[in-house]
Amino acid sequence: MPGLGADAPGGLSPQPAERWATTTSGRLAAYLGLGGAGLLAGLLLSRPEPVILAAPLLLAAAVGLALARPPRLEVEVRLDRERALEGEHVELDVEVRALGPVARLELEARLPAGLVQLPAAPESASSLSAGEAYSYRRRLLCCRWGGRLVGHVRIRARDPLGFFTYREEERHLLPLRVYPLPEALRRLVRPAETQAFTGNEVSRLKGEGIEFADIRQFVPGDRVRRINWRASARRGQLHVNEMRPERNADVVVFLDTFTDLRRSVGPRKSSGFMALERESSLEAAVRAAAALVGLYLRRRDRVGLVGFGGTLRWLRPAMGERQLYQLVDALIDTEVVLSYAWKGLEVIPRRTLPPKSLVMALSPLIDERTVSALFDLRSRGYDLAVVEVTPLAFVQPGRREAEKLAYELWGMEREALRGRFLEMGVAVTTWRPGEPLDAALATAGTLRRGLRVVRS
Amino acid sequence: MTHRVSPWVVPGAILAAGLAIYPAMAQQTAPLVVGLGGLAFVLFVAGQTLPVPGALAWALGLLAIEYLATLKLRGAAVDVAAPAYAAALFLCAELGWLGLEARGGGRLWPGRAVGVALLALVGAALGAVLLLLSAAPMAGGVVLTGLGVAAAVAIAACLAWLAGR
Repeated sequence: MPGLGADAPGGLSPQPAERWATTTSGRLAAYLGLGGAGLLAGLLLSRPEPVILAAPLLLAAAVGLALARPPRLEVEVRLDRERALEGEHVELDVEVRALGPVARLELEARLPAGLVQLPAAPESASSLSAGEAYSYRRRLLCCRWGGRLVGHVRIRARDPLGFFTYREEERHLLPLRVYPLPEALRRLVRPAETQAFTGNEVSRLKGEGIEFADIRQFVPGDRVRRINWRASARRGQLHVNEMRPERNADVVVFLDTFTDLRRSVGPRKSSGFMALERESSLEAAVRAAAALVGLYLRRRDRVGLVGFGGTLRWLRPAMGERQLYQLVDALIDTEVVLSYAWKGLEVIPRRTLPPKSLVMALSPLIDERTVSALFDLRSRGYDLAVVEVTPLAFVQPGRREAEKLAYELWGMEREALRGRFLEMGVAVTTWRPGEPLDAALATAGTLRRGLRVVRS
Repeated sequence: MTHRVSPWVVPGAILAAGLAIYPAMAQQTAPLVVGLGGLAFVLFVAGQTLPVPGALAWALGLLAIEYLATLKLRGAAVDVAAPAYAAALFLCAELGWLGLEARGGGRLWPGRAVGVALLALVGAALGAVLLLLSAAPMAGGVVLTGLGVAAAVAIAACLAWLAGR
């Protein structure tokens, strides 16, 4: 993962909070009302006791009104870093500096979805004298990948006697990018075709390289260092070794963002905090995609991305660390955007899908537009492998007979769909989120070895 | 709104009960006075435990009326315990409002506790001064009555200012 853990403070220049919403306690009105009634009663009854009873109430009201001033504060929000992995913690630090005395100050951080404040809750209230600073620190658990804006703070201040409450919402929003925790991967689907640049993939063509391919008879022009002396001595004629060059490949990860299937899988303890765990097909696919792009890029392949859904996102294939950053950043912005518009391959820029590239599709194969686009890709000759994030894992069969029957029929339809892909020479492998992706990719590799005959 | 009983209810209720009982302990207690005291106590407890926060102000008002009605019915001279009663009534009111604020998660902070205690003391001292002034051989008249009316008008002005905030 790129630069994770880098110390990246993101403070903004402090700004005084001025737009206070003020609410008055009913206590003040009650004291004034009872005090006024006491004065009138004193006049009417010609006795001092009503006035004496009213005296503390009116005194409190007068002092409260005299001391009440909207607080003057400078608020600064910092995050200890801008990037984190799922499951990691970040520190939120809200520093409040009082420009005047504040009798009571209470802070509360409002967090976006996907971030949870750990329940170690020290006192969040304080009284400040002029010039004094108060630091409100919280550990946040990054529960889900995605781009977040952190720094929405609710401030509540009180006057010395608690007659007035001043409320303000400060938004010093700082970006926090939470990267998906990649799936553990050791093997990849090998591309059928390679490109011209040097990489880790052994080309199917013969040429200059270090991987042994074959032996043939010497012809004029062959390098002497290529002569296989043992074979030449055995056969009585000069023979040379033929080699396969190491090339790279173009890989495009095709992420289906038309559909996201979700289910609750119950509470799970994470970092000592119980959270309701929800499984999502899109989240699993994004994790898988993050792992795939990372591993392919380490093999010096050129990797691109197509997010095919309500909103089309793409990144042209490229190599290197910068591309890894761009790909992961693009992945964490992935979301489902509802759209009824028909989309086909024509909406994808041509250079995003170079010829001879391997297209690795991650999809639950639910939306017809995705299925049609994948068929279209194969028809145009692209080397296609599909990892089906199986929707069956997200749907229960039901209890009634009709429901069970419908579930079985649906399973058969899906089987037929996979059969159609296989007929076209496309390896479709089923992956249940939560299970190792490695196993699914191994199955895809095995299928592709069998399908290579069909394709050629 | 979450409804929970705050830790301030018990001391507030005890003080309210004391304030209700004190006038009723006087001689020639009328059933009306006892009834007012009982009603004030019930309203105080209801305001603290039921979702009727407005009952608190009525309870305080009834306690004050009960005390004044006792004095009127007795036809007694000036009550020297009035400043202490006033301070206790103020503390009872503060405890009641703390109880209401605690329902919403509000807490008492040290500065406010000190402020309330000081106000109770200063209020009692002010009451004692008023008591001494009332005992002074001064003839009443238009000026003093005018001052009283002016004070009442000032209170009304404060209320109007609050409404305009």
